[in-house]
Amino acid sequence: MNSDDQLIFEFQQGSRDSFVELFERYREPIYGFFRRRLEHPARAEELAQECFLALLQNVQRYEPRAGFRSYLYGIAIHLVAAERRKAGREVAENEKLDSRPLEGNAAENNDAGIWVRNALGHLEQSEREILMLREYEQLSYGEIAAVLRMPVNTVRSRLFRARAALKNQLLPVK
Amino acid sequence: MERNAQHAFDAEEVMAYLDGELEAQRAAALAAHLVSCSECQEVAQGFRALSERMLSFEVEHPSARMNETVLAALDSGDSSRKAVPSISGQIKSWNWRRVFAPPYVWAFAGLGSVALLAVVIIPSFFRARQAAWLDTQRATGLSAPHDEVQSLRTEPLYAPKPGLTMPMNGRAAQASAGEGWAAPAPPPPSAGDELKAPETVGPMIVQTASLNILATNYDEASAAIEKLAAAHGGYVEKLDAKAQTGNARELSAALRIPTKQLDGFLSDVRKLGHVEEETRSNEEVSDQYVDLQARLKSARATEQRLVELLGTRTGKLEDVLEAERELARIRGEIESMQGQSTILVHRVNYATVQVNLSEEYRQVLGSGPISTGTKIRNAAVEGFTDLEGGAVALVVFLFAVGPSLLFWLAILLVPGWFLWKRFRLRAQR
Repeated sequence: MNSDDQLIFEFQQGSRDSFVELFERYREPIYGFFRRRLEHPARAEELAQECFLALLQNVQRYEPRAGFRSYLYGIAIHLVAAERRKAGREVAENEKLDSRPLEGNAAENNDAGIWVRNALGHLEQSEREILMLREYEQLSYGEIAAVLRMPVNTVRSRLFRARAALKNQLLPVK
Repeated sequence: MERNAQHAFDAEEVMAYLDGELEAQRAAALAAHLVSCSECQEVAQGFRALSERMLSFEVEHPSARMNETVLAALDSGDSSRKAVPSISGQIKSWNWRRVFAPPYVWAFAGLGSVALLAVVIIPSFFRARQAAWLDTQRATGLSAPHDEVQSLRTEPLYAPKPGLTMPMNGRAAQASAGEGWAAPAPPPPSAGDELKAPETVGPMIVQTASLNILATNYDEASAAIEKLAAAHGGYVEKLDAKAQTGNARELSAALRIPTKQLDGFLSDVRKLGHVEEETRSNEEVSDQYVDLQARLKSARATEQRLVELLGTRTGKLEDVLEAERELARIRGEIESMQGQSTILVHRVNYATVQVNLSEEYRQVLGSGPISTGTKIRNAAVEGFTDLEGGAVALVVFLFAVGPSLLFWLAILLVPGWFLWKRFRLRAQR
């Protein structure tokens, strides 16, 4: 299987199929990224589209510095930040994470999921972001550091704090 | 024993190990330690359980609509944001803001229009200034010679018409019937002949030519110049040879060559080496000549009358003396005018050729005539002069360009401010 960077290189050379493969690989992860961070599924889908369109637009400028995944999630983080800033209600967003049940598929709207969601909402924002990038997007410490532009050691210590805090919150359920 | 050893690894390292982020050596040690340390096993189990629990925060799959949109953008090659179909009203407004609201869009548009304006305005501005300058030049009459040169250039410069040959030799210009200005040439102004001002005269043209030649063989070429001039019936008016140490030898010669022979002479001279520069110019002196002839004619008539007067009439001694004095003055004038006429005709008959011959210089090892100290001093003086000139030029430039620079800066400042604001915002983020 070709690596992401190889696929993006092929796409830069004009291979349509390479992009389709990349899109297939990251379609669900990117949608999940936005879905877990935003309230409305439609909005999440819209931003996931935006993310891929931004990739399409800027593909010729892409340079393999920190890896494709860092680049892609960097765009995604940027879009989420812009979305929150635009709404001007970052704090309110956290509250919604806390209180509101997920819309959408009822089967996935399980109790444990709501608990996790609520617990995540109580974390400090940068710690929550690191934890989510690690657990859901499966990024390495180095990739997270590149996406959030912070040292790897900071990523590790904050990830540890986030996990400890989350464990404390989830403990009663267990 | 294991309990003590447990302190060698803290919980964060266990976490990093589980994430596969611990360096290999440390990871191997921790793996070995985990086998025997129940506390660390517990910590690891805690992290694993947490990760598992977190995975219960599941999300639904994206709709197929997303695929269509992205792949459509991929195929159309037009991935502009406007192509994205909006899903909700909220998104519509969001897109609108993305496209129109950012100040940098306006900043770039402003910059672009300013650049366009500059491109359009500046050349026409300079053209207007040049036209104004030319007008003032014409008004002061400075450009008159320039214009004359221009008009002369349009004439066949290097091929004088047969009618141009001068009447000095007594040969009338054999003008072809088609040439409107063809006319009987003035009679030769040789002494004793009756000078008659011609009613019309062919153009009398003084030709000058100048050649800068880089000689392939300097010695031969310099010797050949005089011979060539003589061979073509001309002569050397002035010869100036320089052979300074450390410099190439130079010879500059002013030659007079019969106009008829000019072309032949020039083509011979060109063979002496590489012609670096060649200029030719023609100056028409017909009007001067005609004027001179007319004045000469009237002066001669006056002379004639005075002679008759003195011969036939008698009068007071005073009057006779007066008439004699007048006669002498008139004769002096006639002679002077005859001289001028002769010179003019000579200039027309003999073209002036300036030949500058220089040697292809080969640098010779050895100190030149200028000492090192003098060279350094000269360089210092030159450097200082350059500095002074540069400073003056800068000040002049600032005064010349400053006002418009300030004007454009003021115009550019607004978009620039928007850009700066945007960059600062980005940096803060």
